[in-house]
Amino acid sequence: MEFLVWLENTWIANEIRTVPWLYPTFETGHYIGLSLLVGGIMLIDLRVLGFARALPLKSMIGLLPFVWVGFLINVFTGSMLFIYGATNFGPNKAFQLKMAFLVVAGLNALAFDLAVRRSGGSWVVADHPPTLVKGFATLSLIFWVCVVTTGRWMAYI
Amino acid sequence: MGFLEWLQGTWLGVLVAESLWGYPIFETIHTIGMAMMIGSLGLINLRVLGYKPELPLLDTRQLLPLAWIGFTMNAISGTALFTSDAVYFWGKYTFRIKMILIILGGINAALLGGRVFREAAAGEPATTSVLAGTKWIAFLSLVFWFGAVIAGRLIAYTP
Repeated sequence: MEFLVWLENTWIANEIRTVPWLYPTFETGHYIGLSLLVGGIMLIDLRVLGFARALPLKSMIGLLPFVWVGFLINVFTGSMLFIYGATNFGPNKAFQLKMAFLVVAGLNALAFDLAVRRSGGSWVVADHPPTLVKGFATLSLIFWVCVVTTGRWMAYI
Repeated sequence: MGFLEWLQGTWLGVLVAESLWGYPIFETIHTIGMAMMIGSLGLINLRVLGYKPELPLLDTRQLLPLAWIGFTMNAISGTALFTSDAVYFWGKYTFRIKMILIILGGINAALLGGRVFREAAAGEPATTSVLAGTKWIAFLSLVFWFGAVIAGRLIAYTP
């Protein structure tokens, strides 16, 4: 809690509270980052699961840079939004759940990435993802929807 | 004003406004539908602009169902959110800008669909064969849809 109090009283947190356009700007940035991150991930996961088969699997997995850009935007904007009201958001159950889903979604993405590297990408070229990878893709869709949902819910509990 | 007040008084408006879960549920659906639309339309538009030329242009049509599902989710959830406080939303200039951007985005998507897929079907899948005018439409599409996201987010902060 002391850390949260400290965070909330940093210079930058004070700026976000006093400069009227900063908070809405970070929030808007968070939604744009979300669109890139979740939009990109959905395209990759759905393609792995067999959607839009005419588009080469390799190119679709190649959308990962967008996902990373979205992720970085949201780590930054999310941190800014958090310190604005750290003592309020920190103990928020929806926030804690969101962070938990974020970790699980991240680990799942790591497992997906590992599966691509391990196979040397042979199934990527052959457009024949192993069942295990399809499992990761399904879980990814579920986890990211959970991240969005719990994030949205922070304002209501 | 009569219509907006009537809308707020409908069972849907009252349900969304007064139930504990109504508003956040529709808001969450709205956010996920947004990601689906921006993801799929964004990729089609970027492809038209020359990104990932190895994606067969004509086949990016296969992404359209995802865009339509996202659009439908957001039309429904957006309507539900609107009815909960119709007078408030209608009074916001950012809400009106968002609606205009969505209409422009829709007209734009129809134009783009007609041109791109006609050009692609004419047997010229290479990026260079996409006419400059078509690229402008794709660029504007990105502007309209990201603009709609920005305007929507700012509804809460503007008069």
